[in-house]
Amino acid sequence: MARIVYAGDGCTGCKRCIVACAHAHDGTFSLEAGRIWVVKEEPLTDHPVVCVQCVKPRCQEACPVGAIRRVDDLVLVDEGACIGCGACAEACPFGAIALHPSKGVAIKCDLCGGDPACVKFCPAGVLKLKEPAAVVQQKGARG
Amino acid sequence: MGQVLRVDLTKRKVLVERLPKELALNYLGGTGFAARILFDELEPGMNALGPENRLIFGTGPLTGTLWPTAGRWAVYAKSPLTDIWGESHCGGFFGTELKFAGYDMVIVQGRADDPVYLWIDDDEVQLLPAKDLWGRNTAETTDMIREALGDREIEVACIGQAGERLVRFACIMHNYQDAAGRTGMGAVMGSKRLKAVAVRGSRAVSVADDERFMELAEEAHRRVLEQPQAREMTKYGTPLLVAYKSEIGELPTRNHQTGIFGGAQKLQADTIRAKYFAKVRSCFGCCIMCKKVNRIQEGPYAGLISGGPEYEGIYSLGTNCGIDDFGAILKANQLCNLYGLDAISAGCVVAWLMECYERGLLSRQDCDGLEPTWGNHEVMVTLIEKIAKREGIGDVLAEGSYRAAQRLGKGEEYVMHVKKLEISGQDGRTHRSVALTHAISVRGADHLRSLVTVDQLGYEDTAAKRYGRDKLPEVCDPYSERYKALVVKDAEDTFAIRDSLIVCWYSCGWPPIFWMPDFAAVASAATGVEKFGKLEELYRIAQRICNLRRAFNVREGLDRRHDMLPKRFTHEPMPEGPGKGQVANLEIMLNEYYKLRGWSENGVPTKQTLDELGLSDVAEELKRLGRL
Ligand code: SF4
Repeated sequence: MARIVYAGDGCTGCKRCIVACAHAHDGTFSLEAGRIWVVKEEPLTDHPVVCVQCVKPRCQEACPVGAIRRVDDLVLVDEGACIGCGACAEACPFGAIALHPSKGVAIKCDLCGGDPACVKFCPAGVLKLKEPAAVVQQKGARG
Repeated sequence: MGQVLRVDLTKRKVLVERLPKELALNYLGGTGFAARILFDELEPGMNALGPENRLIFGTGPLTGTLWPTAGRWAVYAKSPLTDIWGESHCGGFFGTELKFAGYDMVIVQGRADDPVYLWIDDDEVQLLPAKDLWGRNTAETTDMIREALGDREIEVACIGQAGERLVRFACIMHNYQDAAGRTGMGAVMGSKRLKAVAVRGSRAVSVADDERFMELAEEAHRRVLEQPQAREMTKYGTPLLVAYKSEIGELPTRNHQTGIFGGAQKLQADTIRAKYFAKVRSCFGCCIMCKKVNRIQEGPYAGLISGGPEYEGIYSLGTNCGIDDFGAILKANQLCNLYGLDAISAGCVVAWLMECYERGLLSRQDCDGLEPTWGNHEVMVTLIEKIAKREGIGDVLAEGSYRAAQRLGKGEEYVMHVKKLEISGQDGRTHRSVALTHAISVRGADHLRSLVTVDQLGYEDTAAKRYGRDKLPEVCDPYSERYKALVVKDAEDTFAIRDSLIVCWYSCGWPPIFWMPDFAAVASAATGVEKFGKLEELYRIAQRICNLRRAFNVREGLDRRHDMLPKRFTHEPMPEGPGKGQVANLEIMLNEYYKLRGWSENGVPTKQTLDELGLSDVAEELKRLGRL
């Protein structure tokens, strides 16, 4: 199953993906309500961070009310069931899950139902929807 | 939404005001709002460094949205360098964050007893002591604030030591490499003892007609990504201009003595890309991504990694000082960013000093024992330090080249300025429209308020589309005065809207992608105000803004006499290159421009013009002061 991947080069740190993501989910523009983030460091680092859809999701394990489940290789939050405790956010090793600034519930990448806004709006064209295996190949890390 | 944060530093009071509806309807945003506020709240003749000056941080109706260049913001105040209208735009993320915190604008007035910084966390706004920050450079200040408040996503706009010491061309810095550079806004901030504004916004911004807006934003996104020159901008950034301008003989060299620079090749974009390029960076949400970080691997500046320089920095700190050492330019540019100096004015005052020294008007002793000869990059770098510290000759240069010449009683004829603002990297002799632009620009010798590129870069199709095919070929002829008043006025109107929305100069003036019709469509979709969607109405707003800014300057005593150019441009023919023998014939264009604007021959808006634009109160004020 494909997920959002970044091959490690070319992000300019513009944060357009974050706002596109927030807009795709909420219909409004925001940097806090995005489900993808950009880590910026001086002088040379810009790096997007987004859920990698773990096979054994720590967030799922941590959720006390079972609001997080894996469906078709996608890790999804049931916003109705979520109590907004933030245990998942603490458990995620990537910092890829957070609480929505106004709704208070956990939010994370759901691939926008298959046509992710972040990929569509990334001006540098460096965010891709791909199978992890394809990335490994692209980077030449293995065979 | 629609909130204004009013901060009185003297009384240590912070107030949230509602954005007046008439302001939004009649002035659109950013520059429009500031024009009305500065005209209403400032007294003519007041000291720009006095507590009564207002320092406005502005955003616009597109800020924070997915329009492709909507990460820009601006600062406005009366300028301590020019004593007239001050305005400076900046990229990065500060404006967006301010908008997400719920504010369209922050207006700062008064003066704090001790250094402070403003911390805006959505609704919670505080003035915090800046004792530890005072004396720190802009990068340290940014890092220390993020550390102290425990949040690395905080966006900071701050001054460095230059602003603290009231260097008249101090800038306001943001995000390490983004500057609200021109007209000394950092000195105004320093005079208020306001070290920084830190902001964090967790709110969302919405537009009136989301569906229509997103259609437009997606189309705009596509148009930028498909524009070949925009792609080049992503790869090379503004240094692209070095080669273009070299080719047409308009690369200002040695204090604008010529447009041909022997060392241009060393400073060209492809050279920089091959030897120094480290990374592409971008302002918020931008599809052009023009920012570059460069790295020096060898020579005296080896090990240096820094954002920039832009074309204007290469011009001012490089070619204009006869310097072709890229490492030195990057170093000086970084120092400007750290100390918080406008890199254009900083380079230009050094160039002026060099010309005075080379002509024997100033001695080595006058220059603290330094030898500011053309191309002496060590001295250039040293002088930048001295200016920021106001040390020795640096203290004189920190006043700007106009005042420096007066103070020393020397070299006045070599000050390349208009209205006391050091001239940007163009030359009106070989690019006629820019002669008019420099002369009439509301903030002084500036290109960004009305630069026309169709005659400089030969965009015939764009010119035909914007102004009609019948204006060709003259409109694209860089050596002809014909139609230049028309196109400069149109650019000035368009850019008044651009600067009110607020979006970037790139994708508007150059490369030529968006123009008034695009702005009309997106302004009405974003705000739901139908009249913004009508071209005529939008032009009316633009003219209102231009006239009001002009009235601000007229009130300060300006008129035709100040719409001048340095003698070098009007009386010293370009000595070499493709434009050899050219001079700027300003008067013809000026007459035409005033007529198109509905101003008197003396360059003052007439009562009729002001009345027609709904500015009767402004007409009355000018009359009361005997300026009409
Ligand atoms: S074109 Fe450059 S300056 Fe303009 S918004 Fe984009 S990155 Fe910023």
